[in-house]
Amino acid sequence: MLFGEVGPLGGAAWTAPAVRSGWIQGLRTLAQHPSALRFLAACGAVDTIFSLQGDSSLFVASAAGQLLVHILDLAMRGPARGRCSPQACDWPACAQKIVCHIEDSLCSIATPQVTQALNVLTTVFGHCRGLWTQGLWVRLSPLVARLLEKDPVPASHSLVDLLLSVARSSVPSSDRGLWETLAQTLSHLSPTQAGPLALGILKLQDCPQALRTQAFGILLQPLACVLEAAAQAPGPPGLLGGAAGDPMTADTLLCSKSACVGLLCCALTHLGLLQPLPQRPSPWPQAPLLGAAVTVLRLCSGSVAPTSDVGGRLCAILVGCGRVQRAALDFLGALSQGAGPQESVTQVFSVLLEYLMSPESSSMVLKKAFQATLRWLLSSPKTPGCCDLDPRTQLFLRELLPVLQKRLCSPCWEVRDSGLEFLTQMTRHCGGQAGFRQALLASEVPELTKQLLQDPESYVRASAVTATGQLSSWALLAAPASPERPGAQQKSLLVELLHVLCADSEGFPRRAVMQVFTEWLRDGHADVAEDPERFVARVLQAASRDPDWEVRAQGLELALVFLGQLLGPRGSHCPCAVALPETAPPGTLAQALPEAAPPGTLAQALQVLCRVQLFEFAFRALFDCDRPVAQKSCDLLLFLRAKAAPCGSPQEAGDSPNVASVEATLQRWQAGEQGQPLGYLEPGAVMAVLRSIDLEGLRDTLAESSDHVEKSPQSLLQDMLAAVGVLGENEADCY
Amino acid sequence: MPEIRVTPLGAGQDVGRSCILVSIAGKNVMLDCGMHMGFSDDRRFPDFSYITRSGRLTDFLDCVIISHFHLDHCGALPYFSEMVGYDGPIYMTQPTQAICPILLEDYRKIAVDKKGEANFFTSQMIKDCMKKVVAVHLHQTVQVDDELEIKAYYAGHVLGAAMFQIKVGSESVVYTGDYNMTPDRHLGAAWIDKCRPNLLITESTYATTIRDSKRCRERDFLKKVLIPVFALGRAQELCILLETFWERMDLKAPIYFSTGLTEKANHYYKLFIPWTNQKIRKTFVQRNMFEFKHIKAFDRAFADSPGPMVVFATPGMLHAGQSLQIFRKWAGNEKNMVIMPGYCVQGTVGHKILSGQRKLEMEGRQVLEVKMQVEYMSFSAHADAKGIMQLVGQAEPENVLLVHGEAKKMEFLKQKIEQEFRVSCYMPANGETVTLPTSPSIPVGVSLGLLKREMAQGLLPDAKKPRLLHGTLIMKDSNFRLVSSEQALKELGLAEHQLRFTCRVHLHDTRKEQETAVRVYSHLKSVLKDHCVQHLPDGSVTVESILIQAAAHSEDPGTKVLLVSWTYQDEELGSYLTSLLKKGLPQAS
Repeated sequence: MLFGEVGPLGGAAWTAPAVRSGWIQGLRTLAQHPSALRFLAACGAVDTIFSLQGDSSLFVASAAGQLLVHILDLAMRGPARGRCSPQACDWPACAQKIVCHIEDSLCSIATPQVTQALNVLTTVFGHCRGLWTQGLWVRLSPLVARLLEKDPVPASHSLVDLLLSVARSSVPSSDRGLWETLAQTLSHLSPTQAGPLALGILKLQDCPQALRTQAFGILLQPLACVLEAAAQAPGPPGLLGGAAGDPMTADTLLCSKSACVGLLCCALTHLGLLQPLPQRPSPWPQAPLLGAAVTVLRLCSGSVAPTSDVGGRLCAILVGCGRVQRAALDFLGALSQGAGPQESVTQVFSVLLEYLMSPESSSMVLKKAFQATLRWLLSSPKTPGCCDLDPRTQLFLRELLPVLQKRLCSPCWEVRDSGLEFLTQMTRHCGGQAGFRQALLASEVPELTKQLLQDPESYVRASAVTATGQLSSWALLAAPASPERPGAQQKSLLVELLHVLCADSEGFPRRAVMQVFTEWLRDGHADVAEDPERFVARVLQAASRDPDWEVRAQGLELALVFLGQLLGPRGSHCPCAVALPETAPPGTLAQALPEAAPPGTLAQALQVLCRVQLFEFAFRALFDCDRPVAQKSCDLLLFLRAKAAPCGSPQEAGDSPNVASVEATLQRWQAGEQGQPLGYLEPGAVMAVLRSIDLEGLRDTLAESSDHVEKSPQSLLQDMLAAVGVLGENEADCY
Repeated sequence: MPEIRVTPLGAGQDVGRSCILVSIAGKNVMLDCGMHMGFSDDRRFPDFSYITRSGRLTDFLDCVIISHFHLDHCGALPYFSEMVGYDGPIYMTQPTQAICPILLEDYRKIAVDKKGEANFFTSQMIKDCMKKVVAVHLHQTVQVDDELEIKAYYAGHVLGAAMFQIKVGSESVVYTGDYNMTPDRHLGAAWIDKCRPNLLITESTYATTIRDSKRCRERDFLKKVLIPVFALGRAQELCILLETFWERMDLKAPIYFSTGLTEKANHYYKLFIPWTNQKIRKTFVQRNMFEFKHIKAFDRAFADSPGPMVVFATPGMLHAGQSLQIFRKWAGNEKNMVIMPGYCVQGTVGHKILSGQRKLEMEGRQVLEVKMQVEYMSFSAHADAKGIMQLVGQAEPENVLLVHGEAKKMEFLKQKIEQEFRVSCYMPANGETVTLPTSPSIPVGVSLGLLKREMAQGLLPDAKKPRLLHGTLIMKDSNFRLVSSEQALKELGLAEHQLRFTCRVHLHDTRKEQETAVRVYSHLKSVLKDHCVQHLPDGSVTVESILIQAAAHSEDPGTKVLLVSWTYQDEELGSYLTSLLKKGLPQAS
């Protein structure tokens, strides 16, 4: 026998879960054809798989369930592909056997067995598309519905998964009874269990309105209870149109701290996920939801003291609870996508400010508060007729900046960093708005940001580099420069960032500098535009020596931007066709070239590239021991060659001694001896060398990850041969 | 029935990818979140989909604890927190918090560089993940929430490694992570107090090994050339070892260490000097052990210099970067040597040369002939079998669970532990759940008044013998107190009500009621010699709190009815008397 007790189950190796797992995997590979299936079924394989569903290993049990689904699907597709009758009595014996097993399991009083059956069915309805699945549901749905009659409902999570899986399949088109089952399930499950089902229902594209209303009610209930409990006096109709909160939800909220926290976090998360979806319920109760989020946050901070008994108890449970604070701040951030009445928005800003100021806020809570604040600020309406911030937002900003200032001095690096990230994003989006500029320049935030370039924590230094770079792009870094030394402060930032690039011991700040520089070059930052050639030369020189390959790769990115500006963007073939002074963006190299007449010729551009030693950098990078650098360099040189080719070769120097020496040096570099410099290159020699290198071949080699060598059959065979009888001692001596 | 459940998602009968789920008194904790260096596909990370089917991880897990900075214990953390979506707290010690991002960054760079992976976690994700970390101090009890608390103990192994005690109410689990019970040159030995946890989850890497002294290994260590190491950890131990040896033997050959790393290591070791061993701490004031006289920063150009030298280069498995570059340069010369100080996973050049391959196919279809000598020398800092037994003895757990080891070796250790300590020992494979029933002890405070009353009765308490104590249990605000009934009534402002049981017993007796009562009195007096039996003036009889009254039967003058009544304290005696009287009275002599 191949299966059963006398088969694999009796073997000693069977006790190892890895063996059982491998056995299932093997069986799955085998069961690809109906005849193989018939053979397996005849040998009793299916019974063994049934027993493996209850395996002590989660992995084995789950794999066994999936294999059953695979076998069922294969059996049903059978010889008459796709035309299996929905009538269960006509199904193949193997499928009948599996379905009977599922039926027995669904009727079992043991929850694990019910769970197994539900999980198998979830996979069936999630993955199998045949008409027969509808027949299967007709046959099994009464058994599934009967589970709801039990108290408590067994395997409720798996039941929810199954019902959602069925609802997403083709079944609802044929069985309207499903909606009824879903409605019943919603009302039978506890508020915590029903949450995921409610969210799933609301995400469905097509389902009856009454069910959607019921589901939405479940998600809103916990927040409705909170609003009701915290109300000082009967206010406007709340989340549920004035209807009283569900007593079961209120009980869950008040029975224990963990139940309350769990339910509230789920409700907040689910509603937050629903908010941006097009199929979210309409009308969306934006104002009461904002009120609820603010109330939850105030209960957590202890800044409201509800007079009611229930409110008092809720306050005692929630005060200082970081988990709810984090979930509520995320939710509040998500709500920024919808408009709200003026009063609510004022409350939102005030609660955010309260959190940002509070000494009780943990670093994670502060991070989320900054993120929510950013979202609200970016979504706040602009003053009509002008692109500036509205007066309320402006007022908020004026209150916010001193808080940010304080947070930038926090002893926690996490807080300083979150503050800088917030500032960077704010500046990126609002740098041009007068209100923001005014408020920022009136504060000490820019100066503090600059000081953080010296922060002991490298993450913070990197964020400070990005923030100062962004501030500088919008000319927000310094107080108005003195008339005697215009732009003096700005210049010093360039020098300072160059110093970071050359001297910082950590990679993050150096990488951040390279990103800022690339952005500056691309956007035509004033300091760069003054003398782009010198700027590029200095940056490339520093980047080429960097031990961090990502800095070197970013150096190539910058070089590519420079090339684009010099020779025209990718896609346009010949630089001769690009009228540089007209098409280049303001402040780029093209403007800085007028003295090098005539502009736009390849020879001139090559001269510039040689002067900034871009070729030395790119060739060195071509043989870099880190693959991404070599790949990027290869792309850059291919781009350059493509640009130059159609124009013919200026001063072709194919066989000059210069070319031979360059090629010899490159060969040495390729062999790993990178000590010798390339020296000054003539443009002609560069082009000749470029043509002589097999860049395409190199690109193909580099495109293959190093795994291709290790995974080659030969390499694996060598590994196996070598492993026999060796290494016994070393195996577990790790790390 | 309360229980503790443990499911390893990684490190179950396996080394690598440590990730153990523990469920204790309704709280769910993930211990470590490691990666497997042997896989580069989705098997490298634990399969987190098994943690919960019931929605979001953040709602299910109460916290994640990381034992130390090695990647097989923390390598999947950014993936778990930023890509899978866990948004809750992560606990680790301060040195681990400082060093973890460096190694994660290193790992990311290698994955992206060498493997060209695009869908890998980014630097930003590592940073965002580290922002979720809460640092813990040794022996500091950290309250994760109102019920769950954790406490870290020193584990040796590497800088910042810790064992963690996880406690909910009276139930607790200790997770050792990796540890070392013998001090080495720069770290101390692991230590834990006698915390008697319900379960000790211990690593068992060297479950069957009793290791030799370090001295003989050190003697072999002389003419080496290339030592591939990981940036932090064993590298520092080896540096101290070589530095001391060079000093003692007055050797002149230069020792180099990859640029930047010595600086970085120094920085962290200086910062966390309390985590090193006593000797290093003592000498720190005069001489910083991490400032090396003989070890200098390495420059690429040095690799081509003639003459002998020792170079420490990263990474440790010769799979990329500088160590591989130097290896390629030096492999062709039989006078050179490479020493692998630790484990190498399959697929790496380190693994290939350790398994004896001498012709390696490198990228670009080049074949590299390895003529240099290849040595393996274990400097791994795990507890050996003796050390593990020692720790079990120290902590006195009720149960032991083995992880981070190979099944065969675990089996041996399991038997040894069960025999020696008479505790159950488990060794689940990955995905298998071990369930341990627990009997939670609920602490109850006893009032002083009640204790004094007990003492007054002359019975001195004996710590070893259980003692029965009567009183009223007051449960208030999750606190339990046992007080005297009087105190309870006073505290709660309640009036006392006495509950009496009554029973009628019919006796055939033609005499008058008073005479029947006398007969009852005499009978009970003779039977119950140890009890106080009284005949009251009103004609009723009492035995302790039990009251017996005789009355005439309304219909049958030849029958008397005895009304027996007793309080609940004397229920046993009351039922006894009733059954005794039901048997009738002895005939008058």
